[in-house]
Amino acid sequence: MSATRSNTAFKSAIGVGLLIGCLAIAGNSLSGAGQSPRPGESASPTEPTVDFQLLDAQASPIVFSHATTARDALGFPVGVSRTGKHVKDGFQHAEYDEVDELDAAGQPISMTQLDKSGRVMSAVRLDASPRPATRIGRDSALQAAQRGASAAGMAAGGTASANVDPATDGWTVRWSRIQDGIGVRGDETTVQVRPDGRIQSLARVEHQLAAAPAQRIKADEAKQFASNKADLWFRAHGSDYSIDSMDLEWVGPNGAFDAGKSIDPQPVYRLAWVANVKPSGDASKYLWMVTVYLDAGDGSLLGGDFVE
Amino acid sequence: MKRARLLLVSALIAASTLASTAPGAFALKGQVRSNSDGFSMSCVGFADTYPQQLYSLTVTQMAKLGFSIADSSIGPSFTKTAFLTTVLQDYAVYVHSHGDNYWASSGAPNVDSGFLQDPGSGRCNDYTRDVVRSSSIKAATAGSPYNLVIMSTCFLGSDNSTMPGAFQIEQTKLSNQPEFYLGYVGHVYDSSMLRFEQAFWSYINAGNPYYTLWGAFTYANSLGGYAYPDTADPFRPNWWGSSTYRGTPTVPANG
Repeated sequence: MSATRSNTAFKSAIGVGLLIGCLAIAGNSLSGAGQSPRPGESASPTEPTVDFQLLDAQASPIVFSHATTARDALGFPVGVSRTGKHVKDGFQHAEYDEVDELDAAGQPISMTQLDKSGRVMSAVRLDASPRPATRIGRDSALQAAQRGASAAGMAAGGTASANVDPATDGWTVRWSRIQDGIGVRGDETTVQVRPDGRIQSLARVEHQLAAAPAQRIKADEAKQFASNKADLWFRAHGSDYSIDSMDLEWVGPNGAFDAGKSIDPQPVYRLAWVANVKPSGDASKYLWMVTVYLDAGDGSLLGGDFVE
Repeated sequence: MKRARLLLVSALIAASTLASTAPGAFALKGQVRSNSDGFSMSCVGFADTYPQQLYSLTVTQMAKLGFSIADSSIGPSFTKTAFLTTVLQDYAVYVHSHGDNYWASSGAPNVDSGFLQDPGSGRCNDYTRDVVRSSSIKAATAGSPYNLVIMSTCFLGSDNSTMPGAFQIEQTKLSNQPEFYLGYVGHVYDSSMLRFEQAFWSYINAGNPYYTLWGAFTYANSLGGYAYPDTADPFRPNWWGSSTYRGTPTVPANG
């Protein structure tokens, strides 16, 4: 017997053992309904959960109407039935209404999420996408995305970027949010376009911004703050670094450097100098980049990000 | 004979269904590993908090999917030996670390993808000592099937990654086996991995029996808002496997 077959047989044996074990306890398990958390219930008070309340189309006609408008504007398929729910998403720290279009088997074929004012937060097709031999060109994808965003009522201004999406073999088109000439990190309107030009998904991410500080430290001063940090991180440990960029951005304060730091789950974004620090020497073999957010007013550390 | 085979298949389907109702001693195993010492105060002068967040998230959510989380660790006990000696018994695997598509020992252009084990307390990662190569994993898994493999690293979702093959997952999106591989194509910010994986788990564990891992991936991929290091290096998660597999622990019918 080959190693492959014997090891597969080993795993199959585990499966049969599982069966015997499960059958032995099936009575208890089935009669013990209520012991396991039901969908939407919290398994533990500390872990994030998605809690929801079902919505009835007659009791919440506006929600369903907005979802229908988005579905048709984006050219999504019409299901044979729909379900709606009000969701408290503990992972994304967001609350929204969601409508799923279902096929005859009850399988979701699209999902639309709406914020409390009824605006589309995200909409995505969940039916299988054809994979034609050729993909539409970049310009066609940009035009399709622009049309989709407009049809769904999302203003998508400014310069768009378009990249091939390996997951769908189509395109991901992004419009980054710019406020008063300054980029908002992560805020964007995103449209995914299928290889045949149809819309795969659309989403908008937008955070509240704090007032800009009355006075800003200059880029050189911010760079010095970043260097002071990087000296401790890298030079003190036998590596070196370079600061590749220093840009003003709106950022969400986070606990990237401090697990004990109290973080607002729905942070108001603050104006910051954002430095990309690239290690060299030994550290570069396992840490590609550290991004540091420094308060644009006083240079204090607001958080950051890592590419390991 | 045919009837006996049908009975066996039915029994295995029943077993996998019941597995989610009895997440305990009899559930199929999953392991979750996260390198934290390589990104700790003693090594880089600050404490990167993402490895712990990603580890805690996955341990909870993979268990919720029905896998029994065994042999999992964050920090020094995530060693090459610990991983390679336990991976055969698993049906689900998660790794968060530095990952790359390294040249194979036979040289370029052959690739032998890998990730770094935790270097151990007070030590920094050393590629020569710490890399866990896909060729070693392939040998350790010995042709055995895997349901869910998540490489929460840079690069291991790219087309030239040899990591899916180490778990017998073909780089196709048309598999009819209960298997799903998730990885990222280029450089990835930790915050983006966390946001993506939170969305992925929130969908698949929402309690809807019709939801699939592919649906979870597609939902997470649609949300946007992912930071990326460079416009030429955008956030690009990728997957291979089955688009219909629901993620419950399952012994493949032909396995």
